[in-house]
Amino acid sequence: MRSQYVDTIRREFKDFVVGSAVPQDETYLTVKKGSDIKASVDAIRKEFGESIIEETARRNEVYLTITRDANVKVCDYLYHHLNAPLVSMFAADERKKDGHFKVNYVFSFDREDAFIILRINIDGKTPQYRSITSRIPAANWYEREIRDMFGLIPQGHPDPRRLVHFEDFPDGLYPLRKDFDIRTKPERVKGEYIYRRVEGEGVYEIPVGPVHAGVIEPGHFRFSVAGEPIINLEIRHFYTHKGVEKMFENISLDKAVFLAERISGDNSVAHAVAFCQAVEKIAGIDIPPRAKYTRTILLELERLYNHLGDVAGIATDVAFAFGAAQANRLKEDIMQLNESVTGSRMLRGVNTIGGVRRDIGDKRDKILLKLSTFQQEFRKLMGLLMDTSSVVDRIETTGRIHNDIAKELHIVGVAGRASGIDRDVRRDHPYAAYPELNFKVQVQNSGDVYARTKVRADEVCESVSIIEQALWHLPDGAIKIEIKEVPDGHALGYIEAPRGETIYWVRTEGNRIERCKVRDPSFCNWLAIEYAVLDNIVPDFPIINKSLSLSYSGNDM
Amino acid sequence: MLEILKRRLRTGTVTTGYPAVPESAPPGFRGKPELSGDKCTYCGECVSVCPPGVISLKEGNGEKELTLSYCGCIFCGRCEEVCSYGAVKLSQEYELASKTKDDLQTIIRRKL
Repeated sequence: MRSQYVDTIRREFKDFVVGSAVPQDETYLTVKKGSDIKASVDAIRKEFGESIIEETARRNEVYLTITRDANVKVCDYLYHHLNAPLVSMFAADERKKDGHFKVNYVFSFDREDAFIILRINIDGKTPQYRSITSRIPAANWYEREIRDMFGLIPQGHPDPRRLVHFEDFPDGLYPLRKDFDIRTKPERVKGEYIYRRVEGEGVYEIPVGPVHAGVIEPGHFRFSVAGEPIINLEIRHFYTHKGVEKMFENISLDKAVFLAERISGDNSVAHAVAFCQAVEKIAGIDIPPRAKYTRTILLELERLYNHLGDVAGIATDVAFAFGAAQANRLKEDIMQLNESVTGSRMLRGVNTIGGVRRDIGDKRDKILLKLSTFQQEFRKLMGLLMDTSSVVDRIETTGRIHNDIAKELHIVGVAGRASGIDRDVRRDHPYAAYPELNFKVQVQNSGDVYARTKVRADEVCESVSIIEQALWHLPDGAIKIEIKEVPDGHALGYIEAPRGETIYWVRTEGNRIERCKVRDPSFCNWLAIEYAVLDNIVPDFPIINKSLSLSYSGNDM
Repeated sequence: MLEILKRRLRTGTVTTGYPAVPESAPPGFRGKPELSGDKCTYCGECVSVCPPGVISLKEGNGEKELTLSYCGCIFCGRCEEVCSYGAVKLSQEYELASKTKDDLQTIIRRKL
């Protein structure tokens, strides 16, 4: 089937096709059969039967409510024995309903295309539960975030400092609790944040930020160095917390799509689609095939311009101006294509609950034509970039993230795949039109800047192929179904954004949002930078930072 | 080095003459929303769907007044989508910079 349309493209555009975009090997993805999550649930039941209070399941999500104090051992079992990564963790204030806060741990079962969500009930009077961070390091920031936003204390957490709130935020004020009014303007109080200190002869600190040289958002980086090599880096973010999750609870569903779209500017489509998918899952509807294909095309166009921007950034940071200019030019080409296809350079305003708002079918030839020249130029550019010794010298072995570290911190997306983590939501939890398209998940093992650049380059080629396939197979029919009422319920929405796995958990009540948890890939990946820079020299920090492509805005919602 | 020079020459000039040479937005672009006083019935439908809430409807002094501010407009086109009278249209215009906030408002009125 694949060779059939490759041939069609070759025939149609023989003047433009100079080579085959995709490797001709046998490792092409075959769509997984949704094998059964039951075996894992049975195993948990058998092991912890007495701790399970309630069990519900909907589509591919199994919710297990367990006793509060069993959380460490059950999470540990899922993570270490069933090898399920912790992909999100969040709290919800359901005191009105049953007098409890709920803390939810979302574990992903990639082979089964399923999620097991463990929940514990926490009494409002003793807002405490046991921390799992020392067993599952990926829970570190989540637990601190929940403490700041809900006032639920993770007992035994190795880092008792605040994460989202600053020292000047008053104690005892928890914005995501239902009794906190969105219009509250808290008083400022005095306080101090204590950084980790590295002491010794010749060790000095370099504070960088929160205000940076370029037009980027604020973040503080504190390096401890001895000479050039970095011994320790501590990052401090959340300077511009916008209260997005609280805002979701105060606006109507159709407006919420536009809010999701603006959480992380250059990942607009991914956030909007993830949100829409969660709501559509609650409503129990399947969007029209044409809408699925359109979403896929938009998601891949977004990946193209993001990856191009990152390649340009890496080229800039290694002082390869020619490469940077060329990559930026190609990025601009894609952005202009985006504008002519959707009316927005950032592909905004197209997604809506129930499908898409704009039909892009008539732009097919335009996109195909553009992509064929684009691909040709991009491959030449990457050939040149990876062939220039001044570039390769700077990026090889730089900013290495070892596979075990990446796994423990749950590093997602390109950074994860460059460190040998073979995960991709598009394949593992297929959505939109991905189950019907062929593509390969690109994985590298060295975990350095070189590997991340290589993964990006290979993904660009895959994206072009995905768009071409989707355009050739674009089904006819409606692009949207009207949804008037969304029933009460909750569901996950997940997307492989250009930066990696993006997860939404939405709970609706009375046709409005009761709780919306957004987990942007950068929330996971920022932790990686503290490890990636170790033993590297200070001048390599910008390259490492760029290669991880971290978002301030998506992290700091 | 030679390769770079060769490619540099082949790429040519890619920048455009903007702003000296005016550039128009492609069809389907969602630019400045325009209100049409003739068609508007002041029903308030656009006010209720506007995500950033920059459209407002006022009644008083014997007239109805609809105000749209471009300050917070996100150019989503929801107003255009829901208006059954075709009174809001997103135009191709994108050069909206101005010196005062008042210039960024468009107001239509009708006597009651």
